[in-house]
Amino acid sequence: MAVRLFIILFFVLSVLPSSLGAQVRGLIVGPGAERYPIAVSPLKSLAPAKDEARISEEIADTISRDLMLTGWFRVVDRSAYIEDPQRTGITLGTFDFRDWSTIGAEALVKGGFLIEGDGLTVELRLFDVYQAKEMVGKRYTGKVKDFRRIAHKFADEIIFQFTGVPGIFDTKITYVSTAGGRFKEIYTSHLDGSERVQITSNRTINLSPSWSPDGRSLLYTSYKEGKPSLYVFDLFSGKDARFLSSAGLNVGGRWSPDGQSVATTLERQGNVDIYLLDRAGKVVRRLTDDPGIDVSPTWSPDGKRIAFVSNRSGSPQIYIMELGNGKARRLTYSGGYNTSPDWSPKGDKMAYTGRVGGRFHIFTIGADGGDPQQLTSGPADNEDASWSPDGRFILFSSNRAGPYHLYLMQASGENQQRLTASRGDDRNPSWSPRLQ
Amino acid sequence: MVERWNLVLCGFLALALIGLGGCPAARTGPEVARAPAVEKDKPAKERVAKPEKEVKEARAPTALEALRRGEAPVTPKESPLKEIYFDFDRYDIRADARATLKANGDWLKGNPGVRVVIEGHCDERGTNEYNLALGAKRAQAAKDYLVQLGIAAERLSTISYGEEVPVCTEKTEQCWQRNRRARFVITPAKPAT
Repeated sequence: MAVRLFIILFFVLSVLPSSLGAQVRGLIVGPGAERYPIAVSPLKSLAPAKDEARISEEIADTISRDLMLTGWFRVVDRSAYIEDPQRTGITLGTFDFRDWSTIGAEALVKGGFLIEGDGLTVELRLFDVYQAKEMVGKRYTGKVKDFRRIAHKFADEIIFQFTGVPGIFDTKITYVSTAGGRFKEIYTSHLDGSERVQITSNRTINLSPSWSPDGRSLLYTSYKEGKPSLYVFDLFSGKDARFLSSAGLNVGGRWSPDGQSVATTLERQGNVDIYLLDRAGKVVRRLTDDPGIDVSPTWSPDGKRIAFVSNRSGSPQIYIMELGNGKARRLTYSGGYNTSPDWSPKGDKMAYTGRVGGRFHIFTIGADGGDPQQLTSGPADNEDASWSPDGRFILFSSNRAGPYHLYLMQASGENQQRLTASRGDDRNPSWSPRLQ
Repeated sequence: MVERWNLVLCGFLALALIGLGGCPAARTGPEVARAPAVEKDKPAKERVAKPEKEVKEARAPTALEALRRGEAPVTPKESPLKEIYFDFDRYDIRADARATLKANGDWLKGNPGVRVVIEGHCDERGTNEYNLALGAKRAQAAKDYLVQLGIAAERLSTISYGEEVPVCTEKTEQCWQRNRRARFVITPAKPAT
């Protein structure tokens, strides 16, 4: 239905008479495309309430920031807005589209909210300014403290209306941060850095957090008991439990897409290899058995293959193994050091870190092979790519500005923007699945 | 009835004391190691008077201990077991490392009660997970070499720290080489049973 709407919108927009005096274009998603101008109005408070000004602005701010992060939209600056949202309506016929077309907006987000105690109801609508039509309207209910999540959900809806695929802002990210100190602890936050929560505080080294497929728990590596072991943290209950602490290295656990297994790297008799564990952390299968290093498994979205790093050819390269028959084939042939693979949820591509000219950069390559695309460049280290759940964006860590921070870019490498600005180093990011 | 409970209690206390401090009578050779966290729990009478020369020998802290204290995990010059160094992305034992390992092995043969944790470390280049694996291979390579020299494998355990606990942070070849190392940390001897 939305795809049809998009196609209709595209054709209608392209045949509108130019006497309107404005450039008419649909949203084109691709390299070098111009950003689509959209206005996001502060929300109307439907009944007086404490905090109403803050909620009104912050919902609009959150939606605006999300749309800007995609690189597909340009949010018209709020200082240019003509109408007072508290004095106009939020439905068709209750406000003037000319107030928006004259400032160059081709789409408009307007809405209202009602606070009752700690409950919040938000109504949000997306309008096509030139067609003077409503594209979609949604009503959300929740607690006042959930206002940001509601904003993210509507941003995802806006993106769905324009591209046919929902956006990825109703998600979380997890990462490791020194936060200016010397200990590496694990944090979660929204993509825009808001609602940051510290997950560990054990004052040692914590690494490689990853998400369960239901988004309810994190699997991570920690030295809190003296040696690198796997732990699981339940985000809802706050419970932390040891997952596996076998003798030797236990690092980099990742859940299978069906949530039934964990692929991880363990050490046996001095040999570092990939193993499969069951949901209780018990080893059920050894996947690699060569004398070199095999590390960093990542699952294909259909759960039938894993990609991993092996130096069996003499240097670290990415390999793909069919879990059915255990056969591995080499994927990367360019460059002498390729590590940290992450399989796109679309299944078609792998992102990884490759060493070029002494520095580290993010690459993508087809899961079937092919020429790798280098997405970052310059005198910096860019590492640990993590795909968005829709496979259209990549989250990664870069020290281009000094300490390591988290950055976002489109899967093409365009629109690279910094996400975090905390003191200290932010590394090992992992993007959650779409939240339930 | 009360006497029996007293006996049980005394027995329990005795076991607890032995468990905490180890059996002094079983210690052979110079005791250079001190258990870090347990030290303060040891009752005073358990501490054995050390000969003069052992007191001067400094013990290298584990990387985790150093991190917790906010210090760089430096192996003191006076440490009897010296570090060995590796090439970038390699874990094979270099010629210069062989000489150090021979010297370390000789010291270990002369101090048969001593157990060692071998730490594998990397320079800061590259991704954390791969470097943890690389550090594990470095520690294992050092252990294998010492075992070949005749040191009992049960005396040697390994741990990788990857790039996580560097001894310096400059982005120079010199600092990177200092971090590509295996360290040998002496741990307390196990009490004889």
